[in-house]
Amino acid sequence: MGVPAVPIITARFKELVTTISYKKGIPNMRITYTPHPITDRPAELCRQYVAGNDPNSGQPMLGQIYAGLSRPLSAEDGKAGFLPREARTRLLPPDTPEKLMEYFHEQGFTDGNPVILPTEEKVAEMLKATSRQPDEWVGQMRPSPPHEAWYYTVEMVAVNAVMAGAKPEYFPTILALAGKGVTSMFSSTSSFARMVVVNGPVVDEIGMNTGIGAMGPVNRANSAIGRCWTLISKNLGGSGKPGETYLGSQGNPLNYNNLCFPENEAGLPAGWKPLHVQKGFKKSDSVVSVFSGWSMSDIAWYSPLPIHEVIRGWLEHFFSFGTTQATLVLDPIVAADVAANGHPTKESFAKYLAENTGTPGWLYWSQNERALEQAKKGVEPYAGWLRQGEGAVVPVSRYTRSASAGRNPAFMASRDSNETSTSIEIVVTGGGTNTFWSGGDFGYVGSASVDDWR
Amino acid sequence: MKNTAVKILGLALMAAAAASVGWTADPARIVVMNPQGIKPEIRKIPMAARPASLDGKTVYIVDTKYPNTKPFVEELHAALKAKYPATTWVLKDKIGGYMDDDPNLWKEVKAKAAGAIVLVGH
Repeated sequence: MGVPAVPIITARFKELVTTISYKKGIPNMRITYTPHPITDRPAELCRQYVAGNDPNSGQPMLGQIYAGLSRPLSAEDGKAGFLPREARTRLLPPDTPEKLMEYFHEQGFTDGNPVILPTEEKVAEMLKATSRQPDEWVGQMRPSPPHEAWYYTVEMVAVNAVMAGAKPEYFPTILALAGKGVTSMFSSTSSFARMVVVNGPVVDEIGMNTGIGAMGPVNRANSAIGRCWTLISKNLGGSGKPGETYLGSQGNPLNYNNLCFPENEAGLPAGWKPLHVQKGFKKSDSVVSVFSGWSMSDIAWYSPLPIHEVIRGWLEHFFSFGTTQATLVLDPIVAADVAANGHPTKESFAKYLAENTGTPGWLYWSQNERALEQAKKGVEPYAGWLRQGEGAVVPVSRYTRSASAGRNPAFMASRDSNETSTSIEIVVTGGGTNTFWSGGDFGYVGSASVDDWR
Repeated sequence: MKNTAVKILGLALMAAAAASVGWTADPARIVVMNPQGIKPEIRKIPMAARPASLDGKTVYIVDTKYPNTKPFVEELHAALKAKYPATTWVLKDKIGGYMDDDPNLWKEVKAKAAGAIVLVGH
């Protein structure tokens, strides 16, 4: 900006701000901290905060702000140049396997579980599974937009693939995922999760499980590829250091494997396209597709209603941080029931759902402040909707593109273009042991070719 | 006989090479590869020179609009005005959400202000 500045940050983020200001090249940034949090706090309490001290420095807040804007700089503060940073070595100092494993845990290289130690021999074996050169750039990744991006090569991805327990034949799929440059551990206080769906011939080639337990820990390929995404995110994308590059208040258990599963293309009803074909690829292409959200629920529910109506009702009342997007993961027999009930394509079913779901009153009014003001002034149709009470459903869908535009926190991963008219995605997987399905607040981020990395 | 001699020579050379690097001399120790990516260099940004005094000058208070933090921003504005009346304190909302950039506002700050206070949630 070129003018004296003082950022005001809540005290909980001191560690984050200290490291970010260093990485941004202003190590002595004059920051003033307030008690945490300041959101949703009444004016009287805020007045006390402002009249009080910076909880980190112990100095009066107002005086510190004023001094931050007017105190002369030190000679060092006015200098340009480069800040010290540790050099990267290709190999780590030798040690026993036990001590190296401990070192990997201490450095935050793992997900807390043991890894396969990446010897040069194991990495060389992994590299044989791609035609790409070891020193070829794959991409860059960052924990979230304010953070710096780290860069990585094919060999560096191979190191992490070994650590995750991947077989060499999984490597092109892992490279495709790494090439998307999307971290699986997005740094937000809201504890994001990611999901990866694999489509195309590669699914059978590497033995992924599309059947019973497809979303669970019963298959090496599903497990290792999903796990590897998080190791890549931590080690190649700089993510996952609590307080600095990861802020999820409670964390998200889905980050262990990132909901990695293949679509059961053989189980799709006639007329339902595989996900990658919906996204513009050929059926014969092998593709990874990335989603972003927070939660996924397994819906085990019997009802005399047709299943598509149960899904519609669930979507209407479903609530989480991502209130304007949803992804349904249907078992093949659920998909067959839905298709038999008059939904010949995934797109037509998504459109039906978007057009026939309203929004619970309490949720609608909490998200539409202007509409609430209009309702209170007697302006229709808002006033009529409000008279129904907060428990009534307002006949406004939250799953159309116009409803979700600009409000969807999944923007935090930049999206590929998406031609669908709703914010509802549908994927089919599972073994057909019951008419169950899963639903969650995941939105589509983008897809990448696996074949490009063979 | 010749083969045996070659093998012995080969083993001796391998042992010498191992001793020279010192890494593989202990068979219990292994060498593994670094799993981390490449971090960018950090270019230091000189901080803006401070004025000797803020008296008679204008300072912008930029509200990045983190949800439901307006009471704090307004209390800060009022307190600065009361404590330092010789300075003009201007409260400005940044456009968009708290993660959106506002280059026009930064230009305005540079043109009109001697300093800026930028508030970030939570």
